Amino acid sequence: MINALRAELLKMRTMPGVWVTFGLALPLTILGILIVLASAGGFPGHAFYYVSSLSQRRRLLGAGFFGIEVLAPILGVLCITSEYRQKTITTSLVLVPVRSRVLLAKVIATALWSIFIALLGLVAIAAVALPWNAALGGVTSQVTDQVGAVIPGLLASAVLLGLFGLGFGTLVKNQVAAILLTIGGTLILEGILIALSKAILHYDLNWLPNGAGAALAGDIARGFGGGGGGGGGNGPNAFHLLTWWQGGLVLLAWGVGPLILGYFTTFRRDVT
Amino acid sequence: MTVGATTRGLPIEINGLSKHFGPVVAVDDLSFAVEPGRVTGFLGPNGSGKTTTLRMLLGLVHPSAGTATIAGQRYQDLANPTSSVGAVLEATSFHPARRARTHLRMAARAGGHDEKRADEVLGLVGLTGDAKRKIGGFSMGMRQRLELATALIGDPDVLILDEPSNGLDPQGIAWLRDFMRYLAGEGRTVLVSSHLLSEMAQTIDNAVIVSFGQLKAQGTLDQITAGISGMVMRARTPEADRLAGVLTGAGIAFRRLTHEEVAMDGVTPEQVGPLLASNQIVLYELAQEGGDLESVFLSLTAGLGFGDVAAAAATPNPNPATPPSASPTTPPPPPSS
Repeated sequence: MINALRAELLKMRTMPGVWVTFGLALPLTILGILIVLASAGGFPGHAFYYVSSLSQRRRLLGAGFFGIEVLAPILGVLCITSEYRQKTITTSLVLVPVRSRVLLAKVIATALWSIFIALLGLVAIAAVALPWNAALGGVTSQVTDQVGAVIPGLLASAVLLGLFGLGFGTLVKNQVAAILLTIGGTLILEGILIALSKAILHYDLNWLPNGAGAALAGDIARGFGGGGGGGGGNGPNAFHLLTWWQGGLVLLAWGVGPLILGYFTTFRRDVT
Repeated sequence: MTVGATTRGLPIEINGLSKHFGPVVAVDDLSFAVEPGRVTGFLGPNGSGKTTTLRMLLGLVHPSAGTATIAGQRYQDLANPTSSVGAVLEATSFHPARRARTHLRMAARAGGHDEKRADEVLGLVGLTGDAKRKIGGFSMGMRQRLELATALIGDPDVLILDEPSNGLDPQGIAWLRDFMRYLAGEGRTVLVSSHLLSEMAQTIDNAVIVSFGQLKAQGTLDQITAGISGMVMRARTPEADRLAGVLTGAGIAFRRLTHEEVAMDGVTPEQVGPLLASNQIVLYELAQEGGDLESVFLSLTAGLGFGDVAAAAATPNPNPATPPSASPTTPPPPPSS
């Protein structure tokens, strides 16, 4: 198992697409920081303001989630679909003929690289968000004291969203289709479904992948539902996320479900 | 060459192997054995089930029936698969952005081998100078050699090669031939599929011939060619239709090659000459086909005749014949890339 994992880690390290996702992690996190600081409220004429409420402080600390929700699924998709796209799956399965071992190695490799992306985002938070927030007049310790509430969930979200991509990649196999399904599905379709559900059914569709991930990442890593942000607010337009543990379980299902389905369908099929 | 000079080779056994892709029967109740210390050619026309058989042997394709084992075990059940078996399947199984050495380091890691082995096998196949080049820039011949290097990463006892000479230039083909003989000379089992029959005739000790997924013949090269030699007569006549009627009446198996050519199976000139004369059939040409591998292959894979001969040739050979050429005792110097 260790041998297969070491091979998978080297494969991913030598895949250009993986480095593209890493390259995007910092700018996407900074974009997340911009959004949080811009939506923190403030005086007229000021584009950005320091975070003060609990919700805002957590959102600033979890600003990397914006990059994670985009990039971790792509990492997972790349990990498996590049094998089919480049036809390296034949060599991979000859070198490690026990398929469950190959897939498990990919699960662990995807998880580790997803954590790496999340850590890159945290570097951006430490290097950009905290100094900027302090420069705007915020108190850094009021943000960092939320580390325990946000970071573990953020890392867990990264892992599970990576597995979500891996699972869809295992099911779909076509790289472009898998990326469109995971990213398009989570970023566009999920938003549309949430809005429709809220408007028509008055129901919080909070068990889709990104909603579950946001809940797991401290329920305010992403601003759901208009001005109320996160899970806060009691108005009619407030969007209520799941609790962190419910979000974790739901995201686990989104991560592992397609993976198991993919293993028992496409991944065990003949490689001709 | 001393057959089985060492004990490192492992036997391959295919028993009752079948594979159906929906209604298509790719491999049909195929059985044969491959001995260590010899180069065995796995021959058959395109679509005859060779690649499917090799992929079933390597656990890539699930058999519909039967077994394919190496030393009595399925490939995926071997304790150290890459130390036991190395396989060259297709020269396109590379990530183009990866460098040759990185690809081999990855293979070494996957098999649990020392990553230094990557440089050793690059040297064996003559790609040392290209170790840091991206595979996307490799020629087909270089990719074939890299695929062979990948197969050798675990210094395996069994080599399974599917059309390994595809894309190689004549120099590369000659090197590959010597390399396979060298590996077999070390006692390893070498199973190689190819459609380049003249090339195979110079390389292999044994042959397994398949057509439409079925075994047509198995044995040493000498045994197979001796079994068929002299038994194929080719006639060119303007009266091919009448000849067909005469042959049918005489119970002789035949095949229409062209509108004026007929191949008669299992007969000698002494048998067919008087028959044609007594029926006053005009002949432009009557020739006995040679007993070389190509003519044997064509006869066996045409799908007609030779039922008895094929069965006789399929009988395991108790006395291995002398190989086509002595095996080199050192690896041949690789061709320049």
